[in-house]
Amino acid sequence: MTENNDQEEFALDVKNVSHWFGSNKVLNNVNLQIGHGQIVSIVGPSGCGKSTLLRAILATHPPKRGEIWSDGKRVRAPNRDVGIVYQHYSLYDFLTAQQNVAFGLMLDETSLPYRALVPWKWWPQRKKHMQAAGEYLDKVRLSHAKDLYPNEMSGGMRQRVAIAQALIMQPAILLLDEPFGALDEATREELQLMLLELYQENLQAKKDNGKPPFTILIVTHELNEALYVADRIIGLSQFHDDGKNGATIVYDKPAPVFHPNDERDFLAFNAQKDELRKAVFSPENLQQHAEYVTYWNEQKQAAT
Amino acid sequence: MLETIAAFGRIAWAPIALLCRFLFGKVREPIGAPAKFALGVASILVLIASYSLLSYQRHQENPRDTTVPNASQFVEGWQKVIPKKDSPTDWFDKQQRKKYLESSWLYVDVIASFTRLFAGLSIGVIISLVVGMAMGCLPRVEAFFSPTLSFLAKIPPTAMLAVYFVLLGTDFELFIGMIAFGIFPTLAQGIYQAAKKDVTDHAVNKSLTLGASQMEVIWNVVFQQVLPRVIENVRLQIGPAMVFLIAAEWLVADEGFGYRLRMQSRLLNMNVVYIYLIILGAIGFLMDLLLSWTRRKLSPWFGE
Repeated sequence: MTENNDQEEFALDVKNVSHWFGSNKVLNNVNLQIGHGQIVSIVGPSGCGKSTLLRAILATHPPKRGEIWSDGKRVRAPNRDVGIVYQHYSLYDFLTAQQNVAFGLMLDETSLPYRALVPWKWWPQRKKHMQAAGEYLDKVRLSHAKDLYPNEMSGGMRQRVAIAQALIMQPAILLLDEPFGALDEATREELQLMLLELYQENLQAKKDNGKPPFTILIVTHELNEALYVADRIIGLSQFHDDGKNGATIVYDKPAPVFHPNDERDFLAFNAQKDELRKAVFSPENLQQHAEYVTYWNEQKQAAT
Repeated sequence: MLETIAAFGRIAWAPIALLCRFLFGKVREPIGAPAKFALGVASILVLIASYSLLSYQRHQENPRDTTVPNASQFVEGWQKVIPKKDSPTDWFDKQQRKKYLESSWLYVDVIASFTRLFAGLSIGVIISLVVGMAMGCLPRVEAFFSPTLSFLAKIPPTAMLAVYFVLLGTDFELFIGMIAFGIFPTLAQGIYQAAKKDVTDHAVNKSLTLGASQMEVIWNVVFQQVLPRVIENVRLQIGPAMVFLIAAEWLVADEGFGYRLRMQSRLLNMNVVYIYLIILGAIGFLMDLLLSWTRRKLSPWFGE
């Protein structure tokens, strides 16, 4: 990773990213900046390249062209600054909920030789990690399940543990890849509320002139969910005037901000949902990007 | 006419179906622990009763028959295998104790065979673990070993005896080599498949985002995940390892189970042969139980 102070104002900066598989062009010059403390939803038609973009940001499949920066550092390989929660939990079966959450601290703060050769130093550290993991499990309301193995937990519980496991690392940005897709409606709503609570913590941190702790990019198919949990919504689509060269960002606007105690009034989203359908999901509407990509302009206007 | 035959068939089949249902129950029908225990004991009793009947018939035809020994012949056989000298006057005297124990075929053979078995199994497991894990984690190692391993797995180790004679001689090294290289291709392939298939790319990528080094991915993620499968594979290899050992001892040893079985079966001393087979089975069974227990202790998450 290369240090770059100019980039630090963004938790994530995707610069001119293009990607293709053989002759199949998937991403076409994608540019995206996400500020610290934002919760951003990304939506788009099936197969438009959302997962490819996520994998590029995660650096498991780096882009063929362009650069990705996270918190002022160039992302070239998967690292602890970019966290991920997958749709299918991917917890470690051999660890309990608490051990799963503490796993990242162990890997990040100690090394294999250190743990093997200086166990008298490692054990007290381990105790602290487990304590911190307990606190994060508390945050996702799972302290009662700390000793359960993943196969003893429901899908919703596992996803909460996965989120706590990623959050404890305090990554510059956390990627959620359709995190609630495999869950029932009630559990989904609970986890959406959890994201709203995290956003409230961000607002509080900003109010206290601190750095907001949670920056999240969430990929979802569900428009209501995308608008409900995020403060900004992005549409990635191949339906634009240069679509033959792959998908790009065709929609980027603020989303209504909800407080966890607010009523879930999805009717309020109707106008924006219609706009999203037209801009992102409609093959007939091959618009210029500028029409719907207005997020940063709106921010500047609001600031002045 | 056909209807009549069908109706007759149904009537004739009904009592058979009823009897089958009574004896065997339904497919995947759970049974309680007492019933399970009783059925296990019943199977042993059936075996003993069948053997007793066969032995009785043989002895009716020929009272001096030794091919299917009766109880008194087994007592004679047992006396042949236990120490032939009087008990030492001082058990703490090493010389006396050694002299006494070494006058027993059983003691000498158990020590000889199981030293070879444990040494061969240990070396075989270590080599298989290193190669299997490396193949499951590192595609370059996989590409290098995969064709060779598939080829070696097709050659029966007993058919390689001549090669082992030439390369390893006829001493201790032969037995170790025979067992270690006999179990290696199958065991390494089992571990390789587990390391490759049981650990998803998501699990590996996630560990990298939690700060894992390459070595930690192998040790803390892949190895921990496949550990119960490794133990299961080792359990399955106990039987083949014993086959290789007995085969080698049968041909070249001057002590050990294979040697004694060969000598005693030539003399038609089946009372000794059966005792050795029972002891061989019992030790194999105990090793199996020990490995099962180890697996449950080390990987409680794996279940039964």
